[in-house]
This record gives sequence, structure tokens and C-alpha cells, in this order.
Amino acid sequence: MTTTPPSADPNRVIASLARDHVNLDLKTVDLCFLAGLYLRADKAALASFEEDVLIDLFEQVCDVVDPGAENPRKRATHAIQRLREQRMLARVDGAGIVRAGEYALTRLAAAVVEYFLADEALTRESLTLLTGTLRAQLAEVLAAAKKADGEEAWRTKVVGPLRVTVADLVAGIERRQRGLDAQQEEVQAEIAKLLSADWFSAVDRCQSLLDATTRTLRELNEILLRDTHHFVALLQEIQALATATENTDAEATVQRVIEHVDRIAAWGGARQRAWSEYYQYVHRYLRDVVRLDPDRALSQRLRDQLAGWPRRPFHLVTAHAPSIRLLRALEARVERPPVARPRAEREADPDWVDPENVLADIDALVARALEEGKTTLAAVSERVLPELPETIHYAATGRIAHAVAQAARVRSERERPWAPVGERLEVEDWSVARRDAP
Amino acid sequence: MTDSTFHTLEAALADDHFPEVDLMLRRGRHIGRDDGTAYDYLVDAQSLLEPFYRRFGCELVQQSDGYFYLLPSGDRLGRRQLSAGEMLVGQTLALLYLDPATLQHGGVLPREALLQRLSGLLGTDALVRTLSPRKRKYDERIAAETVRTQVGEALRRLAELGFVDVLDEARLRLRPALMRFAAPVRGLSDPNLALERLVARGEVLLGEPNGDESGADDDTTDGEEPAP
Repeated sequence: MTTTPPSADPNRVIASLARDHVNLDLKTVDLCFLAGLYLRADKAALASFEEDVLIDLFEQVCDVVDPGAENPRKRATHAIQRLREQRMLARVDGAGIVRAGEYALTRLAAAVVEYFLADEALTRESLTLLTGTLRAQLAEVLAAAKKADGEEAWRTKVVGPLRVTVADLVAGIERRQRGLDAQQEEVQAEIAKLLSADWFSAVDRCQSLLDATTRTLRELNEILLRDTHHFVALLQEIQALATATENTDAEATVQRVIEHVDRIAAWGGARQRAWSEYYQYVHRYLRDVVRLDPDRALSQRLRDQLAGWPRRPFHLVTAHAPSIRLLRALEARVERPPVARPRAEREADPDWVDPENVLADIDALVARALEEGKTTLAAVSERVLPELPETIHYAATGRIAHAVAQAARVRSERERPWAPVGERLEVEDWSVARRDAP
Repeated sequence: MTDSTFHTLEAALADDHFPEVDLMLRRGRHIGRDDGTAYDYLVDAQSLLEPFYRRFGCELVQQSDGYFYLLPSGDRLGRRQLSAGEMLVGQTLALLYLDPATLQHGGVLPREALLQRLSGLLGTDALVRTLSPRKRKYDERIAAETVRTQVGEALRRLAELGFVDVLDEARLRLRPALMRFAAPVRGLSDPNLALERLVARGEVLLGEPNGDESGADDDTTDGEEPAP
């Protein structure tokens, strides 16, 4: 895992992955094929495979995974194509159709196979080694930061190692932590399986599994608590130097590593707490349930009791003290008055107002303007609008245009010019001629 | 002299834990190791609190599974018997508590597992008839909904009594107090005799519970006997 560059906005990354319809669809045979390639490359120090080698290997894998499969050669061709489409295999020869291709596993394929093959759980030895290396590396970076005398020195001697070496080491610890998480889950499943199968005979084995994991976790947590404290101290010193030289890039890089280290330290505490709860629960179970019922008869007897309960019911008794009653002062019941308001005549008589007929007025005013010889829409509007209330001038310009179009012949240029009407309006102008004009 | 921190009843009652623990016990709560300092307090003050509660006509019981509860033997303190729904759910949870598969997740299990086990053990029809004995005919969909509602209600009450922790909408954590539901079959003796002994001790009542127990919407008064 590498440190996320600041430009890698999660939303943008997710959106681009969704846009590209990224997906992986690997069948068991595909995974086995990839694992076979990975192991062969590792053993024979191969960088790439010829096409024939790929097909031979696929056939071998097919013999194991699906022995009765027909036409394995054809299946191999499809599998290679499928893996290329999913960017698990890359053709590396560039010869096109001239000759058979040469293929290599991609970084993605290697990571997938490593996940299944690698036994990378955190152990006392691996953690001590990793934390020792990390501490030495951080001390070197700190020394370089103290000597750094320019932007270039900071970039190559401090920021670079922090981003690559230190971040890789920290990520290595984190990866092994996840490995140990998976191992713990396996231990829990193993304990349940042992008890299901052997019940009383499994008690000692369960106990030793519990104790071994508890010991491992305690040791790891002690190392993490001690060493992460040193890491953070060294990192803070580097950060202080970066702040003093106003190197914001280095400061941000150190901050990211500090956060990563904090996460590693928090893991130790959280896992130990969770394991402690589980340990106590299992311990109680072994003592109170398994040891007291070595023949495992209780479950069956309880099952019978439950099945027969509707025919012969019984009920457990528990204490049931009612809540304390709080006595309140006696008060006469108050009748709430209904919501009301005084009676009044709420219907007002309508007022007499002058009749309004703006539309008819506009038609008459337009006709009069045309009679007066106005020859453009702007001129007609200019003549009519002052006769109307100012509040309706904007709406009335449309009505005036309509009335002009009804009462006269109108013409317009292809690009109709805008002509001012009064101080606040403009209209797209028409030339206007009376209908009876030649 | 004992190893107890408290030398007198006055000291035990003056402890900060007493009011909360006392209220929990009187409300029927089972206090176990999972309750942390409340349980430690009871272990510490047990020898002083036993005679104290005896004066109220009840017994402070400690079980070897690691929990305490108050068992009323007279009429001085109110008592209540668990409803049919609570008994069925409680026994099923006790069965799940004994199952090693539950152990894998530290006693945490999904609610669905409870319903599946309950209907698997009793059958849907018997389950509906036990939880709604007055209904002669029932619609399958409505009956299923009623069962879910009653099981949910029973779980809520069992959680109040300290038999189970409801972690969220979907998950439960089982507590050792559930072993009370297995008490009649815990020994190797005849379960009927064991049940009679429990009845004689006042731990269990036989037959139909008092009051209207079958309705899903009944209130907290089911089967309870009021304090004098």
C-alpha cells in the first residue's frame, strides 16, 4: 500500500472506476491457473511465459480442478482471453500476429495470488524486525532532514523515503495485522468446530488455542505500544523541522505517516480488548457449560423441554416492584374554555370601482395611433403606452403588438432592429402600413 | 471476618452502587459478570445483603453461572411470572447459548437465527397456537406478523430482565442468566421432579399465566402480583 497522493480525491477515483465499469470475475480455475503461473515464475525466475507454456499449464490445472472437462485447449484459449480482458495477464512481446505471444502476470494478478498464497500474519519476530527497520529508517530520515539545505534535498532525502520506504514498512505492518485478524477468525471458527465435534474432549485443545492467541496478541501489543511511541516522536521531530523551513509538502507527508502509525497502534489496543471479551466468554462457556455437561445431554434435554412446553407450560418467576408513585398536590379539575372569538359581521360590502377594460382601450388607442399615421411598432407603442397605467406597460407592449398585427399590415427585416420605447422598454421593431394602403 | 470490603450492612448500603443495584434487583433484573462493577459489588456485599433482602420476604440468589437475582418468596415485594412468549423465546435462547456455533461470535447472534430456531423446534402452527391460543382460525401472513411482533416484545422484556442484550435492530448478545430457563433439565434427575422442586422453591409457577398473556399489545401488568 502506498501513501495516497493528495490529488487522489476518493469521490473522483470512485466515479472514474464506476465510469470504466471496472469489475473482476475470477473462477476457481482462473485463480488456480494464476497461482500456478505465479509459482512457476517464482521457481524458475521467469519474467514471462510463451503461449505454449501457458496452455500446457492450464491443461495441468484443468486436470486437477475439473478432471472430466472436454476440450481443455479451447478452454485455455478462453481463459487466457478472459484474464487479458481483466488485466491479469499482459502480452509483452509486441509481435502481434507475426508469432505466438509471450505473456506476463500483471501487478494485479500478482497481488491477488499473493493474497491467497502469502502467510503474512503478524508474529513477534516479523513485527520486531519491521519495527526495528522502521526505526532505523526514520532516524536516517531525521538526520537527512536536519542537514537538508534546500527544496531538492528535502524532496529526495526526506519526502521521497517517507513516501516510499517508510510508507511501505508501515503498510507491511498493517498488512500483517490484517493477516492476524483473519487468523483470529480462523481460531474462533476452529474452537466452535472442535467443540461441535468432540465436546468435552476438545476442552484442552480449545484452551491452548485461546492461550496461544492471547499470548501473541499481548506480546504484539506491547511491542506496538513501545515502538509506535518512538516512531511518532521521530516523525514529530521531522515535522517540526519541515514547519521551520516552511516545507508544506514534507509537513503533509509526515502528517500522513503519523496518522498511519496511530492507526497501527490503535489496532493493537482494539484487538486485545475484543479478544479479551471473547476469551472470557469462551472460558466461561468451557467451565460452566462443557465441563458441567460432559456428555452433552443438556442441549437434548432442553430441546425436549421446549418441544413439550406447550403441553405442560411453566413460568419463571421474577421480582417486580412497581415504580415509586409520586403523589401530587390535589387540584380541582379545571374546565378548559372552548376556543372562541367575539361575534362580528365579517362579510364586508363590495366597493364601487370604475370598470376596467384595458384590452378594449389598447385596441382603440392602437387604431387611433395608426390613424394618426404612425409607421412603426415602436412609434405606435410610444403613442399608446403613456395612456395606460405604468404598472402594466411591460405586459401591454405585447398586447399592442398583437393589436397592431390585427389592425394593420406589418413587415419586418430578417434581423429585426431593437427600438427604444420610452425610457425603460425596447421592442423588436416592425414597419406598419394600413390595410387599405396601396 | 470475611474477605468482603464491607464490614457492616450500613457500609454496604452506603456504597454508591447500592441504589442502582437495589432497583435493578427489585425490578427483576439478573445481574451478571457482564454488568461489571454492579456484579462485583454484589459478590462483595452478598453476605450482608442476603439477610437484608430476607426481611423483605425475598431471597438474593447467586447461581454458579455467574449471576444474581432476587426471588420473592412472600407477598412483601411484587412478583411477576414470565408470559408464554417470553418462556418460549427464553428457552430457545438458552438452547442457542449452549450451541458451540454461537460461541464463534462470542455469544452474539442475529435475531433471524432466533426465529428460525424457534419455528424449527416448535413448528409454525404450534408456535402460532401457543402465542395466540384464542384464535381458532388465522391468516398465515397475519399470524407470521403476530409471531414476529410477540417475539420482539418478549425479547424486549427479556433484555430488561438481563437475560439478553439487544445490541441493535439485528443482533443480540446472550447472557449466562438464560441458563435459568434450563434449570428443570440441568440435573440428571427426572425433569418433572426437578420442576416440582423449583415450584416448591418459588422459582417457577405451573400452568397458564395469570391475566391476559396472549395479546401482543398487553401492558406490563401480565401475570404480576401487586405489592401490598
